[in-house]
Amino acid sequence: MTRAIQITRSIQMTRIIAITGGKGGTGKSTVATSLAFELSKEKRVLLVDADVDCPNDHLLLSIKREHLKTVRQRIPKFNPDRCTKCGACGKVCKTNAIMSIKGKNPIFMPDQCNGCGACKIICPSGAIEWDSKEIGRIYSGKKDNLDFLSGELKTNQPISEFIVNSLNEEIEKRKDGYDYIIIDTAAGTHCPVIAALENADYAFAVTEPTPLGAHDLEIILQLLARMNKKGGIILNRSDIGDKKIIESMAKKHSAGIIFEIPFSKEIIIQYSKGEPVNIPRISSIIK
Amino acid sequence: MKSIIVLSGKGGVGKSSIAASLAIAFSEDKRIVCADCDVDASNLSILFSLPTERYEEWTPLSTNQIASIDRDKCIRCGKCIATCYFKALRSEDNIPKLNEFGCEGCGACELICPAKAITLKDIDNAYIGYSRTGYGFKIASAQLLPGNSGSGKVVSEVRKKAKEIEPDAELMIIDAAAGIGCPVIASVTGNDYALLVTEPTPSGYEDMLRALDIVDHFRIKKGIIINKYDLNKDYSAKIELFAQEKKIPIIHKIPFDRAFVDAMTNMVPIIDHDKDFRKMFMDMKKKIEAEVIDSEK
Ligand code: SF4
Ligand code: SF4
Ligand code: SF4
Ligand code: SF4
Repeated sequence: MTRAIQITRSIQMTRIIAITGGKGGTGKSTVATSLAFELSKEKRVLLVDADVDCPNDHLLLSIKREHLKTVRQRIPKFNPDRCTKCGACGKVCKTNAIMSIKGKNPIFMPDQCNGCGACKIICPSGAIEWDSKEIGRIYSGKKDNLDFLSGELKTNQPISEFIVNSLNEEIEKRKDGYDYIIIDTAAGTHCPVIAALENADYAFAVTEPTPLGAHDLEIILQLLARMNKKGGIILNRSDIGDKKIIESMAKKHSAGIIFEIPFSKEIIIQYSKGEPVNIPRISSIIK
Repeated sequence: MKSIIVLSGKGGVGKSSIAASLAIAFSEDKRIVCADCDVDASNLSILFSLPTERYEEWTPLSTNQIASIDRDKCIRCGKCIATCYFKALRSEDNIPKLNEFGCEGCGACELICPAKAITLKDIDNAYIGYSRTGYGFKIASAQLLPGNSGSGKVVSEVRKKAKEIEPDAELMIIDAAAGIGCPVIASVTGNDYALLVTEPTPSGYEDMLRALDIVDHFRIKKGIIINKYDLNKDYSAKIELFAQEKKIPIIHKIPFDRAFVDAMTNMVPIIDHDKDFRKMFMDMKKKIEAEVIDSEK
């Protein structure tokens, strides 16, 4: 009996699906939460909110999050007894986290530091040790059958991809327990989005039929191509504008529009109340 | 030059549309300049029907460096791989190989390498430029190349550019990036006024609180605009109560209107859509003016 289950599990691989889309506000989180909630009615699903700058999926689904772990980053600690006030550390620090002039004790601004370690390497007198700072947290939660993870960056911290990396570690640990893992990425195409996309088998870009939508879509499609990701386009509010601009953008980058969601005040109202948004047939995108 | 930053935490609440229409309102009796600091998805100028292809200037920008490894000099000691805190280096046939996406250009590997096989080299990570809009004022913007980092520094360059192209402007209007990470911090610092755009949803509210954290960190005077306030009046009331407690003025409550969506679709700034919208933005402008400019006199 146990054996049979093991065999099915090894054949049926977990599929990791990222929902992304150039700019925020195109409906990325609405699609991710709706898809995850729909699928969780029949399958084992984990939803991961990797929009760590502004995690919102728990609000959309009214999930109460519980603190799972704290993410810390190393920062230098200066030993004034050893420091010869040479000023070298401030010169190599690319993030301007250290102000140091020859003859004065260095002034350190922990918020700006990304932990790169250049200062410690250059220090001639061994005056720098490691300390750490909290940069964010990972939370877990549940909505009916749907399991949920969410990462949150503390304000004023520079490196959000460390939080996403920590989420990726959690995904790696748990992934055999799920049929699908849905990752809701941050907006844009910078570091944390790339970190969230790294492990995904498929990536879907959510956009809308406006010139702005087309503009942002192009950038995300370029990124997906550069990262060799399979996937497609989900067109939100498909009836509000000119679909042709998205169609021609899709063609230009050999991508397909695989799903359309018409404009609906219903969706906006459900969204504003924190209820799972019901997008009919949304789970068809991965079947 | 005074500067106003329009931000919202997350995108999609109408921040850029509102920023664009306010810019037009202000430009009617002031010399202004716009800076689009959403360098991940720069599109404020598209709202003025001005794609970057038609910019007067649009040139590559380098604010970033990445490690470059000289294979001939490398003695395969592996120290750089162990040193890179961002895991951007891995061993391939014992020689370090760089993952460009991951490199922060911190230079730690260059410092540790005993064979001087690593140097940092500049890379073009964005485009930057400016143009004059059909409304008479100029706009500066930049677009980060997909997959590149360094958006915080690109944002600072856009703000510099905006100052350069219109040194005598009385007012700079800045459209911030989405989120609360490095690019937003770089957009918010040093402004005279912050306009927080929110909507009455749980996420709109939480995002506003996060954005507010940054604004307060830099001690910037601020006001709130609630967009689509009538979609969830209970939540709007919650935001208003919060604002009252914190003594933050509510600059305006904008009703949900399909015309907003249509204006976006047709790329017409909302202020030009009809008389009522125009009046609304002129009112907002007056209130903001009273907050930013007159309060100093
Ligand atoms: S660890 Fe890097 S970023 Fe932090 S202070 Fe040292 S050199 Fe600067
Ligand atoms: S490099 Fe070391 S010795 Fe020199 S100023 Fe920095 S901490 Fe002091
Ligand atoms: S420059 Fe810094 S981030 Fe880039 S490879 Fe070297 S150590 Fe890693
Ligand atoms: S530290 Fe220098 S010599 Fe050693 S592996 Fe790296 S590049 Fe090669």
